Amino acid sequence: MEDLGLKIFGAILTTIMGFTVGMTYGGIVRKLTARVQNRFGPPFYQNFLDLLKLQSKKTNVAHGFMGHMAPVWIIIAAVTVLMFIPILNGNLWFPNMSFHGDLIFLLYMMVFGSLGMALGAGQTGNPNSAIGVTRGLSQMVGYEIPFVLALVALMIQYETTSIQELTKIQHETGVWNAFANPFAFLAALFASLGMFRYSPFDIVGAPAELASGPVSEFGGKYLGTMMSGGAIFAFIKLTLYVHLFFGGAGNADDSGILATLAGIGILLVKTFLLYMIPVFYGWINPRYRTEQAIRYFWGWPTALGVIGVLWAVYIN
Amino acid sequence: MNIFFTIISLLFSGALLVFLINKVLPKISGVVAFITIAVVSALFFTQVTVGESYHYMVGEIQMQFGVTYYTYIFAIIVLGLSTLASLYSIQYMQGKQRLGFFYSNYLLTVAGMIGIIFSQDFISFFIFWEIMTWSSYLLVIYNGYNSSKIGMKYMIFSAIGAYAMLAAIVSIKANYDTYIITEAMQNGAFSFSDHIYIPIMLLIGFAVKAALMPLHVWAPNAYSKSPMSFTAIFSGAMSKMGILGMGLVLASAYSYSNSESGNAILALRYTLGWLGGITAVMATIYALIQTDAKKLLAYSSVAQLGYIIVGLSTGTKLGVMAALFLAIVHGVFKGALFMVVGAVEKQAGTTDMTKISGLIRKMPWTFFVALVSIIALAGVPPLGGFVGKWMLYEALITESNNYFLVIVIFFSSTAAFLYSYRFLYGLFLGQEETDTAHVKEAPITMLIPMVILALILIVTGAYPGILFEPIAHGMHYLGFNDVNWDMSILVNVWGEESNMGYINMTIGVVFVVIFTFLTLKGYKGTKEVGTKDISTGGEVPAENENLSYQLDYFKPFERAAAPLYKRSMNKIWSDLGNAMEALFDFTRKIYTGNGQTYAIFVIIFLVILLLLKDTLFAN
Repeated sequence: MEDLGLKIFGAILTTIMGFTVGMTYGGIVRKLTARVQNRFGPPFYQNFLDLLKLQSKKTNVAHGFMGHMAPVWIIIAAVTVLMFIPILNGNLWFPNMSFHGDLIFLLYMMVFGSLGMALGAGQTGNPNSAIGVTRGLSQMVGYEIPFVLALVALMIQYETTSIQELTKIQHETGVWNAFANPFAFLAALFASLGMFRYSPFDIVGAPAELASGPVSEFGGKYLGTMMSGGAIFAFIKLTLYVHLFFGGAGNADDSGILATLAGIGILLVKTFLLYMIPVFYGWINPRYRTEQAIRYFWGWPTALGVIGVLWAVYIN
Repeated sequence: MNIFFTIISLLFSGALLVFLINKVLPKISGVVAFITIAVVSALFFTQVTVGESYHYMVGEIQMQFGVTYYTYIFAIIVLGLSTLASLYSIQYMQGKQRLGFFYSNYLLTVAGMIGIIFSQDFISFFIFWEIMTWSSYLLVIYNGYNSSKIGMKYMIFSAIGAYAMLAAIVSIKANYDTYIITEAMQNGAFSFSDHIYIPIMLLIGFAVKAALMPLHVWAPNAYSKSPMSFTAIFSGAMSKMGILGMGLVLASAYSYSNSESGNAILALRYTLGWLGGITAVMATIYALIQTDAKKLLAYSSVAQLGYIIVGLSTGTKLGVMAALFLAIVHGVFKGALFMVVGAVEKQAGTTDMTKISGLIRKMPWTFFVALVSIIALAGVPPLGGFVGKWMLYEALITESNNYFLVIVIFFSSTAAFLYSYRFLYGLFLGQEETDTAHVKEAPITMLIPMVILALILIVTGAYPGILFEPIAHGMHYLGFNDVNWDMSILVNVWGEESNMGYINMTIGVVFVVIFTFLTLKGYKGTKEVGTKDISTGGEVPAENENLSYQLDYFKPFERAAAPLYKRSMNKIWSDLGNAMEALFDFTRKIYTGNGQTYAIFVIIFLVILLLLKDTLFAN
């Protein structure tokens, strides 16, 4: 019983941490972007204020059943995926179920949220939302190809489909996967540009023409909940990349206070640096049209992914 | 009179009875058809013992009927789906013409499929195969749209398949002196060592029904133009007869192969796997540009069958298991989806997505079924489709070393999200049009079968073990030993697992928490609005303003994937047809139909004979 209690506590702790980190990173990016564009910008905690405002609205507009379900689906996907990726490998305070679901499961579960959001956006009846959704889905078909190639390369190279196992191998050999299979890493890195949807891949939201795309009809508690889910998702993607390519975080099986804090520190540094890649790339790029974005992902990133798979099969 | 004979004769006499009753009481013909199938299903699931079989001698030929653990899997699909589809059909077909013709062919098709499942010798197998093909042909042309063209295409490809199969059956008799399927299998008739053409010819025959590229071109039209209550079993169950045959040939080729046949089998695995993969990709990208919901589902059926064939082609435990699992789940969700489309067609009058939209508030139950089935189709956890996809990917990555096929399959199933969304958005979401204001929810007898299918999908997603048990037995018959299965844990050969129990638990808990939070929070201040109550950049749209987004839905994707769309198997076949016509024109120069020309040929032949008589008849 104590064990179960600890697990539930850990699950809540993990969720809160993912949420906080995701929101803060978003705020920091807003500030940094503003400074780069020579604006003053909002404070780094602005996202929390926004969320507070949205959640405390007295009136809300509901757009039918799917509109009501969309935020629920996003949170379901976010929390479920969060439970199945290792935060600190083997740490007692972050118990997770990463043994019970592997990479393929994660890939599909991550889509679950987008699908829910797409359906909710569809029911609002706003054509801009539907246009945003079709762009988002099309772009997803683009970046998933190099991403999956990279994952397949890793899975073959180490003969495992579990993230926990991949992290452990990096610990034991001392070589990060980013160097063990550089081509797969590059392919995944390019894919991440599309995943985070900063410029030049921000046509899905496209505030100027689509009124922020899929979410344009949502407000109040619905938008607030979606925002929280989005923040958790940002944390998930970053943590996943860190575990797949940058040796994970923390010392396995050491759950002391110091080791845990150190682990979190390492995780934060790594994820933040990783997060800056799509952000920096976004600062200096205009926007691609959807078909250009798809073609972009099917070009060099896919070729690198193919080389990555061949590397995994023949070199190692 | 044994049980197998009873079941088949019940179906045949039911077909006759329906035809006769329709002359007197056309209204109850659907009910009679449903009762016949329901009684047959009840008989089958209570009276039939798996493994028993009966012999008959017809002249010198031994005919054998029975059910093996392998065919039992397909019996579940066929009987389960056709019972529900015939119940659905009662209301769906109401008010249509020629119901006697429709229902008697419907029962004949079911009889054909059940006959195939019962047949344990090739002669009766072939007879029932033809009964199934012919009765389904008559149903394809029932609606009469361009019937000559669509039905003809279906018939020509079915005939090609049937002749290939017949040739193989005759060769098996000649070489192995048996018509019994199990004996032929154990004697190595499919083992790719001595007579490679036998399994290949059989595979061609089966591949036509399973709509494998390049033999698939009949499928999209035939599926979409038949009455939907029939398409539910046409795509859901009948295409699985092709899978049944392919599984039998392929799996026994793997398990009864010897060292000589290794390379041939390897080549076959790669060929079939890639054909399946390309089928999946091409059918998917064609599905997502369709504007007719029926056509979209028809292409999607072809794509899904591609996955199943990929699974079979791996020849590994997990791969074959994935294929059989997907076959059952595909039967369920595609049956449900075609019923959904049928319900929309019945209630709204069309399935053209450019004409209707926003039916969610009018047909909530139909939408629920569509949503569940689409989630299963897209392979998103936690429903059954995910379980099948997971096993397929793991089999390809961990067991078959066919890594680029993984990418092809992944591309196709990611692109499948596009048409999945298109389907739901096109029919149920988006703007509510005034043209569809009169639409009501489908009648209850149509809803019940649909909802049952949706519930089956939910249960099998949480406890895939329910289906693993019969599949594991069936695979034992195919020669795969020690097939492990668990109620809710999926494991690959590297030992990694996906525990559906934990996954479902997490999803369930989070769902309850967040759903309650979102519903209760500010409950009184939450106002439900219609689809016109939106802000398009601050403007409030007028009542009659057209805000539907249905045309050129995935245009950007189409542009990006333009080179893929240039390939069309239809065009290749019609080019082949033209080439053949040119050849026939040439033969016309010889077979002129003129008696005098023929007389000249005879004379020329005689002259040649005379000239060469010394060399030809030297002895």
